[in-house]
Amino acid sequence: MYRNPLVTPRMDTELLKGTLSLLILSLLSRKAMYGYEIAATVHRETDGALTWREGSLYPSLHKMEQGGLIVGKWEEKETGRKRRYYHITKKGRGALTEKVESWGELCQAVNRILEKSDGQA
Amino acid sequence: MDKLEQYLDQVCRSIGGPRSLRRHVRQELREHLLDAAAKHRTGGLSEDEALARALAEFGKPEEMRTELEATHGHRVMAVVIDKALDWKEKTMRAKWLWTTWATAAIVVVIALAVLLITGIELFIVPKFNQLMRDGLIDPAIIDEQGVSWMLSWLNDFHQVAEHATWWVLLAAGAWGLFEWRVRSENKTLMRLSALGTVAVALMAVVWLTAATLLISFCLAVPAKGRLARIFALEQIAKIDVSVDALGEAVAKKDWQTAGDHVNRASQEMQRLAEESAVIPALITRNEPATVEKRRADVKGARETLSEAQQAVVNQDSGRIQTAIERFRKSYDPVRKGAKRLER
Repeated sequence: MYRNPLVTPRMDTELLKGTLSLLILSLLSRKAMYGYEIAATVHRETDGALTWREGSLYPSLHKMEQGGLIVGKWEEKETGRKRRYYHITKKGRGALTEKVESWGELCQAVNRILEKSDGQA
Repeated sequence: MDKLEQYLDQVCRSIGGPRSLRRHVRQELREHLLDAAAKHRTGGLSEDEALARALAEFGKPEEMRTELEATHGHRVMAVVIDKALDWKEKTMRAKWLWTTWATAAIVVVIALAVLLITGIELFIVPKFNQLMRDGLIDPAIIDEQGVSWMLSWLNDFHQVAEHATWWVLLAAGAWGLFEWRVRSENKTLMRLSALGTVAVALMAVVWLTAATLLISFCLAVPAKGRLARIFALEQIAKIDVSVDALGEAVAKKDWQTAGDHVNRASQEMQRLAEESAVIPALITRNEPATVEKRRADVKGARETLSEAQQAVVNQDSGRIQTAIERFRKSYDPVRKGAKRLER
């Protein structure tokens, strides 16, 4: 299939929105992070494949904090700048497990459909 | 960094909840943007370009605000203030709008004043002068109150208004000259000032003339009341005489004389009923009867006199007596009222 080299391939924004909380919880399960660090990590680890409007990260973080899945704390690290680090909570870990399972099921289900439809597109 | 703070203002101003929350959100977004800008600077962009790129990647302020408001709610006051500021920004720039509006408003005031002056000159002043000629407004009474200048003012007003065409032509000429000759950057303001001055002067004339007419009329009303009362008492005396003479003529069966008296009584009664100011003048301040009741009495008396006229034509003594009795029944309250006034 021909792909215009001048157009950067981007993922469907709606798909990304649905996975944002899963990605955030997953990253925070490794260690506490601040907003920019989360965005930069996703960008780096996906080679820029997952790109979204950076600002939309914060409403999601705040919503998750309101839901008790994460906790935000202002912390000053060695650079001397105060940043709001988000820590995953026990409830957040439970939610992450559920979301990972759901994601796996969703991927399997979608893949099954795609495999059967392969070559017909 | 003004650009950054301006952006944060737009995003955070209307977020609901406590002030500390807005402060935290603002600080958090600022840190993110500073980090992003620093990264772009290391990539070789200038400070301004780096910040512009960071802001573009972060998202439009309206979208960010909407998303944060969906999470934290929004402040109603902030939304109202935002709308008001937007409106102010837009309208403050529209200088032509303000000057056009002000000019239109002043022109409307001038037109209204001219209309009022024309109305006063065409309809009110002639009526007022007619009342003076009829003696219902006594200049002596106005003079006694020390406001004789009011009548002089009305006279002057009338003299000036008589030459209205010339005044209008003069104003149009002055206006044309102004538009033709004056070349100044302040021309709009000068036009507004001139129109405003004309509007104030014309409204002063309207108010002064209206006040003069009203005050003069109010001062002269007692004289009018006295005249109406005198007229009413005269009419009542004439009616009494005619009705008494009618009774005597009927007793003598002198139908010709009876006809003359009943017709005269009917005419006098009609004059009494038709003069609108007379009936109210027949009621004293402490009397319980209303003007409507007294008018009904007069109407009833007029009807019985019509019956009497018909009975005289038919030379029917019995019907005439009955009509006269009924006439007295309706007419007595009017007469008693008049007697009270005499006292």
